[in-house]
Amino acid sequence: MSRRTRRGLARAAVWLLLGMFIVLALGPVAWGVVTSLMPLSALTTVPPEISLANVTLDNYQEVLLSDQSLTRGLVNSAIIATLTAVISLSLGSAAAYALSRLQVVGANKMLLGILATQMFPGIVIAIPLFLVFSQIGLIDTYPGLVIIYLSFTLPIVIWILKGFFDAIPPQLERAAAVDGASPFQVFRLVILPISLPALFAAGVFAFIESWNEFFFAIIFTRISVKTAPIAIAEFSGQYQTLYGQMLAAAVLASIPVVVLAIIFRRFILEGFVEGAVKG
Amino acid sequence: MADVQLIGVTKRFGSVVACDAVELHIADGEFVTLLGPSGCGKTTTLNMIAGLEEVSDGEIRMNGRLVNDLSPFERDVAMVFQNYALYPHMTVGDNIGFTLRLRKRPKEEIREKVSRVADMLELGHLLDRLPRELSGGQQQRVALGRAVIREPAVYLFDEPFSNLDAALRIRMRAEIKELHQRLQVTSVFVTHDQEEAMSISDRVAIMRAGRIEQVGTPEEVYARPVTTYVARFIGSPQMDIFEGVLERSEAGVAYRVGEVAFPVPPSIGDRLPATPVDLGIRPEHVTIVDGGAEGVPVSIRVVQPIGPVTYVTLGWDGGVITSRVPGMARLEPGAAAHVRLDGEHLLFFDRESGRLLDLGGRDG
Repeated sequence: MSRRTRRGLARAAVWLLLGMFIVLALGPVAWGVVTSLMPLSALTTVPPEISLANVTLDNYQEVLLSDQSLTRGLVNSAIIATLTAVISLSLGSAAAYALSRLQVVGANKMLLGILATQMFPGIVIAIPLFLVFSQIGLIDTYPGLVIIYLSFTLPIVIWILKGFFDAIPPQLERAAAVDGASPFQVFRLVILPISLPALFAAGVFAFIESWNEFFFAIIFTRISVKTAPIAIAEFSGQYQTLYGQMLAAAVLASIPVVVLAIIFRRFILEGFVEGAVKG
Repeated sequence: MADVQLIGVTKRFGSVVACDAVELHIADGEFVTLLGPSGCGKTTTLNMIAGLEEVSDGEIRMNGRLVNDLSPFERDVAMVFQNYALYPHMTVGDNIGFTLRLRKRPKEEIREKVSRVADMLELGHLLDRLPRELSGGQQQRVALGRAVIREPAVYLFDEPFSNLDAALRIRMRAEIKELHQRLQVTSVFVTHDQEEAMSISDRVAIMRAGRIEQVGTPEEVYARPVTTYVARFIGSPQMDIFEGVLERSEAGVAYRVGEVAFPVPPSIGDRLPATPVDLGIRPEHVTIVDGGAEGVPVSIRVVQPIGPVTYVTLGWDGGVITSRVPGMARLEPGAAAHVRLDGEHLLFFDRESGRLLDLGGRDG
């Protein structure tokens, strides 16, 4: 086999694998979108009657207008995810900056400890946590869910931001100090603006994590703070599953995440620190 | 304008002593370079002068005032960093004007001063660019501009050229020197490049393991290095230093290295101690002669013409020496030759301490 054919084959293999990955990743999404546009009757016949003639927006109309549970779920999710992201960022950026810049005794052990909290499977802590939360009245409340979500977003946010702060050359802070900036001004005028992409990335991460979370949400919510994923799951009832409406709800619930992911990508690619220092 | 005094300045990082009782007095308007290999404590010393690193022991005084506990800003110093440390999210203009903005100067004044400094450094057309859109040399100039606009009492330079290519480095050297001649502001410069240090400084302080080994004008440290360490560090190619034996006889004093014995002028030979001494000689004081009585026989090993001069490595059984020959000398490797050491410029060091022996009666 010549070098050229070998390279050609390798290329083909890469494309094939990428193609398979795309089908795997986008297939369910496409299927979901198609299903959300079909009436239930078309979906429950065998074989399903998927055709352009059957396309309808009834499912969307139904989940948005007639039934309030999805809208409420979306609002709850938005509140919880936003709170989680904002608190993760405020606490996480301070912690990460301190761990990156101050000479904290045992900083590495602390970092490992923070990461170690992520090793427990959720189910291990779910029941004890449930008992504790019901004692102190946190079941079915915004703070209850936000606290749980913080426990898994905060460590990751700290790790992401610590890595980013580590990459900011300390000379920048020194230069600002020599220029006459107070420590707070250094943080506000130099570090923060440079860190925007990373902060944004970490914030979006925390938001998406909490937005999509299902396991803890179903255990720790009852009625008042039911999140979007729970509302979606409830389209599957004991006697029938409203596939069309369920997927319409799912499509609607993914829109904010998709929009965030697109912005996120553009932001991340900008590489702000480039050009700060040489060498 | 300020003079800077370091009195017994010591810096400890845990059990490591980075700077050990450093004594240095930098006069007002003087340009002093801290020179040494990496890890010798020169940057730590600079950071302590800047106020970026706390002093463990000792005093730093500026114009007589103790500044140990003052912030960099209060000390009125400006610093140029090795990797420029430009604020990546600010334009060139904002980078240069940042310090004035922090001092809440009127916008009009900031704009006027920034454009004046930018013009001086030929950055006028780049004011709206971001640092990442500039070349290395331009970034370096912005870093310089950020220091110049401060009109500080002291300039501090932390290896500012080490990221530039050789040609640019030499040009920036001249620019810094010119800037200093124009502004006459006290400057402390840190580098590991001895040629750079020699070319721009009024005085050079050579550091070794946290201590200052020698402070002097470039001429002094070159011609009269106080230790073998300084002798080896200053000058390129290095000074040749031999661990030979002194031979005294009826005929006079000679210094034996392996198979050959170099004659030592009586004026020096008579003053040499009985303890073992090392002999140092720079390439320009090693002359290739046409044989005869005054030369010692050697063979030519390597010939390296570099344009204005040629460096010739000569060897014999037991030693090698480098000679600097003017122009592009046509010499054949392997050929026999004779060399003569310039008796005036022989340097003798005490072998045990490595210190230069003051034999008097000569000028450096």
